[in-house]
Amino acid sequence: MKDIKIITEHWGKINPLKIEDYINAGGYTALEKFVFKMNPEKAIEEIKNSGLRGRGGAGFSTGDKLGMVANQKEKKYFICNLEESEPGTYKDRLIVDNNPHLLLEGIIISALIVGAQKAYIYINGNYEKQKEILEKALAQSREKKYWGENILGSAYNLEIEIFSGAGAYICGEETALINSIEGNRGEPKIRPPFPTEMGLFGKPTVVDNAETIANIPWIISNGGKKYSAIGSKNSPGTKIFLLNGAVEKPGTYEAPTGITVKKLIDEYAGGIKRGKEFWFVQIGGACGKLLLEKELKAKMEFGKECECPLGSGSILVVDKGVNIYDLLISWTDFFRRESCGKCVPCREGTFRLWEIAKRFRDGEISARDKEAIQDILWTLDNTTFCPLGKFAGTAFRDVVEKLKIL
Amino acid sequence: MIKKTIQNIILEFEPEAKNILPALKKISAVFGYVSEEDAKIMAEYFGVSESKIFETASFYDEIKTEKQPDILVQICNSANCTVNNSFSIISEVENLLKIKSGRSVSLKFKLEEISCLGRCADGPVMVVNGKIYERVTKSSLHSILEEYL
Ligand SMILES: Cc1cc2nc3c(=O)[nH]c(=O)nc-3n(C[C@H](O)[C@H](O)[C@H](O)COP(=O)(O)O)c2cc1C
Ligand code: SF4
Ligand code: FES
Repeated sequence: MKDIKIITEHWGKINPLKIEDYINAGGYTALEKFVFKMNPEKAIEEIKNSGLRGRGGAGFSTGDKLGMVANQKEKKYFICNLEESEPGTYKDRLIVDNNPHLLLEGIIISALIVGAQKAYIYINGNYEKQKEILEKALAQSREKKYWGENILGSAYNLEIEIFSGAGAYICGEETALINSIEGNRGEPKIRPPFPTEMGLFGKPTVVDNAETIANIPWIISNGGKKYSAIGSKNSPGTKIFLLNGAVEKPGTYEAPTGITVKKLIDEYAGGIKRGKEFWFVQIGGACGKLLLEKELKAKMEFGKECECPLGSGSILVVDKGVNIYDLLISWTDFFRRESCGKCVPCREGTFRLWEIAKRFRDGEISARDKEAIQDILWTLDNTTFCPLGKFAGTAFRDVVEKLKIL
Repeated sequence: MIKKTIQNIILEFEPEAKNILPALKKISAVFGYVSEEDAKIMAEYFGVSESKIFETASFYDEIKTEKQPDILVQICNSANCTVNNSFSIISEVENLLKIKSGRSVSLKFKLEEISCLGRCADGPVMVVNGKIYERVTKSSLHSILEEYL
């Protein structure tokens, strides 16, 4: 495979704990270019031209977001979202494991672009080892004056702090994340105002996903136009895909956006595991849709218009040997547990779906349950406060409508 | 080593809002849970109400507000681990320890099903008193639990 590699290029080739290895491979030259040869406006223009869209799920234009905050005169913050609790998803963890300096370089450039003097890395509380890696990498890069006061001798200043989450899926949602740093319950806030207007401690804040940020050095070095030529037109670039379940070669693959699920399974992951019979795939974690064999030609893109929102990039291939009732319990139990409880439709709806899933498994399902499913799914989809509730019924609905086993 | 007290733990933190969660995490990790007494001291130090401290503490999985059992077994039941048979591991633990998942009958054992830890490629994943075990099988399970019994 001769695919262009942006995120994973140096994985396995450099020692992630040695900054010299990253520098010898051309690392931190994008930061030097930004500091000495560019200004924030020019950098934002390049990122806008690249077409880069956020990899954290919503697919918002990264250049536009950076631009909104860069324009404001107040104190500002930049936050790298490394909460990553979507089930089946661990791409941001792998970025830290394999090349933490790429992420740091992206964080530093992004924070300087928006004019933030303080950046936070909000890391999943279970990622203790990754926190240590980042602490080491931060110490090394500070010593080289890549952050701190007078970066590389320039007038730029930046402080970076790691903030460790405490086990709550909803804290990946940007307003909940901000609440959590502020010492509150990690419940989402009403938007607008968006964090770009009123974020951390009431100040304009950019929250970007770690994988999004890891694309920034490449764009600064190679230019937005070159980036925009990779992958799909509406959401260019590459994406990390995590293939698991009934495939021959489960693993992590960086591929251009716009690739089909079928190609990922057949050409990257070695096809369906021998001896297993394909049933469906789930795209993008617990929130994600189920695709049947005939739908595998769906292109993996970001944005509202696309066929199959690729979400976090995780792809779980499920074979006919899997007990679907176990999976229903798995999904519903996840949302029941992770619902923050702020709004009733989500708190109650996720709980009732979980109870129904258990009755399915135990063969105790009634006609009333079957009717209730439709009501609950509708309520989740239409009346919940944040996207967690909205997507809590996605997989369940696909089981009902596509697998037709209930 | 000097014995950690709540006072010398909180003194490691500046009394700023952004240190409330880290301080709660630390107290819970050191003492096993955040007691009412701890919450009172925290509230005074950070200049917020006691109920606010409890509201925050009770929200997060990693912060406990009650005394924990001697042996806490947690098993991931998110989709990737489910496909890797985590439910059969859950039943096996239930049989072995004679407990039901989610219900604590004694202060000795508790079994909980938990959300994805991002180790999905190496599932099923089990956590015993904070220590993570990957690719758990019915047979490896027995030897793991023996260490704690
Ligand atoms: C329930 C929920 C969970 C989320 N979890 C994450 C997460 O773990 N990581 C992440 O980067 N974004 C997550 N998001 C999206 C963030 O709110 C936000 O859109 C994102 O961090 C923005 O970064 P991006 O523009 O680079 O995608 C989540 C959103 C919701 C509604
Ligand atoms: S939809 Fe669920 S997670 Fe979102 S605010 Fe409501 S209760 Fe909380
Ligand atoms: S699904 Fe169990 S660790 Fe991810």
